[in-house]
Amino acid sequence: MQVTINKVFPLDGSVSDAWNLLENIEQVASCMPGAEITETVDENNFKGSVKVKIGPMHVAFNGDIAVQEINPGEHQVHLIAKGQDSKGTSSASMDLTASVRTGESGTSELTGDADVTVNGKLANFGGRMMTQVADQILGQFADNFSSKLGASADSEASAQTASEPEPQVQEINGLKFAWQALIGFIKSFFTRKA
Amino acid sequence: MSAVPETMERQDQLQGIGCSRKRKEDPRFIQGKGLYVDDVKLPGMLCGEVVRSPFAHAKIVSINKEKALALPGVHAVITAEDLKPLSLHWMPTLAGDTQAVLADEKVCFQMQEVAMVVADDRYIAADAAELVEVEYEQLPALVDPHKAMDADAPIIREDLVGKDEAGQGKRTHNNHIFTWDVGDKDATDRAFENAEVTVREDILNPRVHPSPMETCGCVASFDKVNGSLTVHITSQAPHIVRTVVTLLSGIPESKVRIISPDIGGGFGNKVGVYPGYVCAIVSSIVLGRPVKWIESRIDNISTTAFARDYHGVGELAADKDGRITALRFHALADHGAFNAHAQPTKWPAGLFSICTGSYDIPVAYARVDGVYTNKAPGGVAYRCSFRVTEAVYLIERMIDVLAQKLDIDKAEIRRRNFIQADQFPYQSALGWEYDSGNYAPALEKVLEACDYEGLRKEQAEKRAKGELMGIGLCTFTEIVGAGPSKACDVLGVGMFDSCEIRVHPTGSAIARMGTITQGQGHETTYAQIIATELGLSSDEIQIEEGDTDTAPYGLGTYGSRSTPVGGAATAMAARTIRAKAQKIAAHLLEVSPEDVEWDIDRFQVKGNPDAVKTMKEVAWAAYNNVPEGMEMGLETVNYYDPPNFTYPFGIYLCVVDIDRHTGETSIRRFYALDDCGTRINPMIIDGQIHGGLNEAFAVAMGQLISFDEDGNLQGNTLMDYFIPTFVETPHWETDYTVTPSPHHPLGAKGVAESPHVGGIPCFSNAIVDAFAHKGVTHVDMPHTAFNVWKTIHELGLDS
Amino acid sequence: MAKTQVSFNLNGQDVDVLVEPRELLIHVLREQLQLTGSHIGCETSHCGACTVDVNGQSIKSCTMLAVQAQGATVMTVEGLAAGGELHPLQQAFMDEHGLQCGFCTPGMLMRGYRFLQENPNPSEEEIRTGMAGNLCRCTGYQNIIKSIQTAAAALNADTGSQAE
Repeated sequence: MQVTINKVFPLDGSVSDAWNLLENIEQVASCMPGAEITETVDENNFKGSVKVKIGPMHVAFNGDIAVQEINPGEHQVHLIAKGQDSKGTSSASMDLTASVRTGESGTSELTGDADVTVNGKLANFGGRMMTQVADQILGQFADNFSSKLGASADSEASAQTASEPEPQVQEINGLKFAWQALIGFIKSFFTRKA
Repeated sequence: MSAVPETMERQDQLQGIGCSRKRKEDPRFIQGKGLYVDDVKLPGMLCGEVVRSPFAHAKIVSINKEKALALPGVHAVITAEDLKPLSLHWMPTLAGDTQAVLADEKVCFQMQEVAMVVADDRYIAADAAELVEVEYEQLPALVDPHKAMDADAPIIREDLVGKDEAGQGKRTHNNHIFTWDVGDKDATDRAFENAEVTVREDILNPRVHPSPMETCGCVASFDKVNGSLTVHITSQAPHIVRTVVTLLSGIPESKVRIISPDIGGGFGNKVGVYPGYVCAIVSSIVLGRPVKWIESRIDNISTTAFARDYHGVGELAADKDGRITALRFHALADHGAFNAHAQPTKWPAGLFSICTGSYDIPVAYARVDGVYTNKAPGGVAYRCSFRVTEAVYLIERMIDVLAQKLDIDKAEIRRRNFIQADQFPYQSALGWEYDSGNYAPALEKVLEACDYEGLRKEQAEKRAKGELMGIGLCTFTEIVGAGPSKACDVLGVGMFDSCEIRVHPTGSAIARMGTITQGQGHETTYAQIIATELGLSSDEIQIEEGDTDTAPYGLGTYGSRSTPVGGAATAMAARTIRAKAQKIAAHLLEVSPEDVEWDIDRFQVKGNPDAVKTMKEVAWAAYNNVPEGMEMGLETVNYYDPPNFTYPFGIYLCVVDIDRHTGETSIRRFYALDDCGTRINPMIIDGQIHGGLNEAFAVAMGQLISFDEDGNLQGNTLMDYFIPTFVETPHWETDYTVTPSPHHPLGAKGVAESPHVGGIPCFSNAIVDAFAHKGVTHVDMPHTAFNVWKTIHELGLDS
Repeated sequence: MAKTQVSFNLNGQDVDVLVEPRELLIHVLREQLQLTGSHIGCETSHCGACTVDVNGQSIKSCTMLAVQAQGATVMTVEGLAAGGELHPLQQAFMDEHGLQCGFCTPGMLMRGYRFLQENPNPSEEEIRTGMAGNLCRCTGYQNIIKSIQTAAAALNADTGSQAE
């Protein structure tokens, strides 16, 4: 089952600061809720994990992230992440091109274009919520990315801040996302996009 | 005359053929005392759970059983590797193919069986199944049957690479299973070339699933001490299972006992042998303890015998008066990853060739190409009489298409094409000899009962106001009662059936048949047959089925074959007993056998009404006072090889009102007239009609087993798969005519699948008819509100 | 998992069972308590074959943990016939041919039993809605509706109330 996601998120910070963050794959991974890099194989290949919780179902995906291309000129990263859950009941892969740029209004933007393929149990039972839940996860990612961007700008300003505790690798709570997705979906009937 | 009421009273007391007597099996069910497979509990019994593939197509890289085996309470984890030394990792199917019992090196459909864990109880088994670690390497999945024979299509069946046949004739591509055809292609093509009118439609029978309320399962129990195997199993064909088990395991049939106890609905879902059964049997033999395997509903919908998945093109050639001159059909059949099609051996498209239907069509040609895809195996199931649902859907949809093209009324076009009563027995263009039928008066009966003319007037008025109302007709003939052994066999065993009757000294009786009820009421209906034939009350006739240790060999119950074949065997057995009883009666009455005649429940000396011996008196005598040279006892067994199939028919009419804003269809009326020949128990027949129509409603209006492009099942739980509740289900009206079968001892034809076969096209025809005035000629099932709305929206009718 | 003792009243008798916290009531009824009348037809709470009566309500016992039955009054199909006499519903199902394979029947009876307490004089539409949580494949529902109507009339006659 494949979904294509195209998103644009406004960012608080300069394009060059955002690019510094974006090309640091480990930092980027830590912005994804429930995700972490577990092993750096080489500068373009990593092993990582993501924990997802949908109601009582805990799924832990383990997989590989392969950076296909880093294009500093375009401020663009292209990576492919593939994983299976530890019980072998689902697999997921994502082909993602993310970039930072200056938007029309002059502020920085993070853009992401992803093809996400899911197979197995998640495709059987999660199919109908896929796009909405992916939207929510990416929304959370963008918030985290933006915060990190803001924090790194602050920490340059103040020399010695209390070290940021690394965000806990929390699980993605699928049900919570599903609920938010549902609210979002209903709201979308009543709000006009600018 | 005082004799007449007395005769009627004696007749009534028998509660025999024709009586709507209450069912004898009911008392245990309404008290929760039925015995279904999951109710079976044996000492030391263990529980099996299947580990299934999450992917539609993948190599198995490794299977790690360690963690599962380490869990306390787990006794075994079986994989293909464990079955290889016994040559049991593959098993034969009913269609001449082989099927993986447990995936051997690769998986070919999502939810395919990969391993079985056996544990102390179902909870531990479920935990253990999650601990089995299987590593997969995903492969591209083939989901679209139209792409199955592309040059670059994925190879699904590595085991068949290089083999030019898979049990059903020559194959031309690795994903090709068979090509079957019937009829005169040249004459048909010529008829089409010369026709005044032709019509053509793409006709889809989507993949659906019967989903009986009870899922499949078994309790396998191997007794190490005496080397015998007993299996309680949800099977519609226990004797076939016994023979298959013997062929697979080497244990002689004399030491294999298959018991089909109470079964919670079959509908063709419980005909085949599933991997879960084989794994449970093997586990039991290896562990020396009973092993129970009961599948979940998700397992059931995802992996057991699905139905349909025929992608066809239907064509009719006709003259301008709507007289059909030829029929042509070509279908692509998606059989899934293994050809586990439940069929008589030589029939890869089942009995599809009944597709000329109730019409006198001089020439026809049909062809079906079967292909493999990465989906669960099967194709024949769901009250279909071996693909008769697909056949009747084709002809009943196409005749409506023709009617619309020529602007001929849909009832009238059928009148013009009906086989007439004096044409029976009728030789169809595709090789069937229809035993009897009388379609025209039945049609008139239905049209009058429903005020067809009034309905058409109302429809015209509603159309003028922009409202959507449809009238669906279906005048079907179906073919059941497989079948004559020269044409029909299952794994080489001819499709006869059997009945053994023993009358006790005090005049009650026990009878056992080779068929097996799954709700059809055999304990009652067979007793009624014997009651009428032997003059004993059906209350005192005990019917048993399903235990291969005691029942005579039979081919089971599916394809509505119990009444045509089992019922015939029952009648013939009873008549053999009555013939012997006549001789005993004559002996008791001290006359010769030709001087006595049978009268309802007694033998009477001709011309001397006071000299009588009842069957009960004869029964007593059979054990102590028989003629010189005659053996004692009053029993027999009959194996009945039917000379032909039977051909029940029906006339159905459906009225629908469609909400043009939501696409919701309201079934205003459904009128079903069925002719199944002699009617054994009208109450039971009506119940069967209601049930079959409900399943037809489900298929036509909402059921679909669908896959995404990677072969992931979408909607394989009851959250999505449409099983109608009380709320959606319409009210059913039933009616009947009686046109007996000339070759059947009772004139009975069988009826249980007719409502499903005839109901589906009736609903479809009603939906299409609602849009006919806008030029719509066909819309595929399922007719969900969304799908119907799409048609409305395309036509701009919702503005 | 450590087991817990659960005590409840089942078909008029007090019972004690030792269960794991995660065990479903349907499994405990069928396996430990040997009452196999209630059946399992799905795992998503749709089919209703497992319907029993708990504290005066129709409950799908596949969606209830056994521990939740602590102190409850539970009735299964085995408890319908009081004092050896069939309940009018049971008789009605036989009289009106409201069953074929029998698998959904205990659930239908238990739901029907509670439904008629909730609505002693139901219309056909009310029966359809009230029973919508129980699925059947064999009967097409029509004769089950008749069975419930017949039982309603019999129960109302028994209690002397006006039948509709």
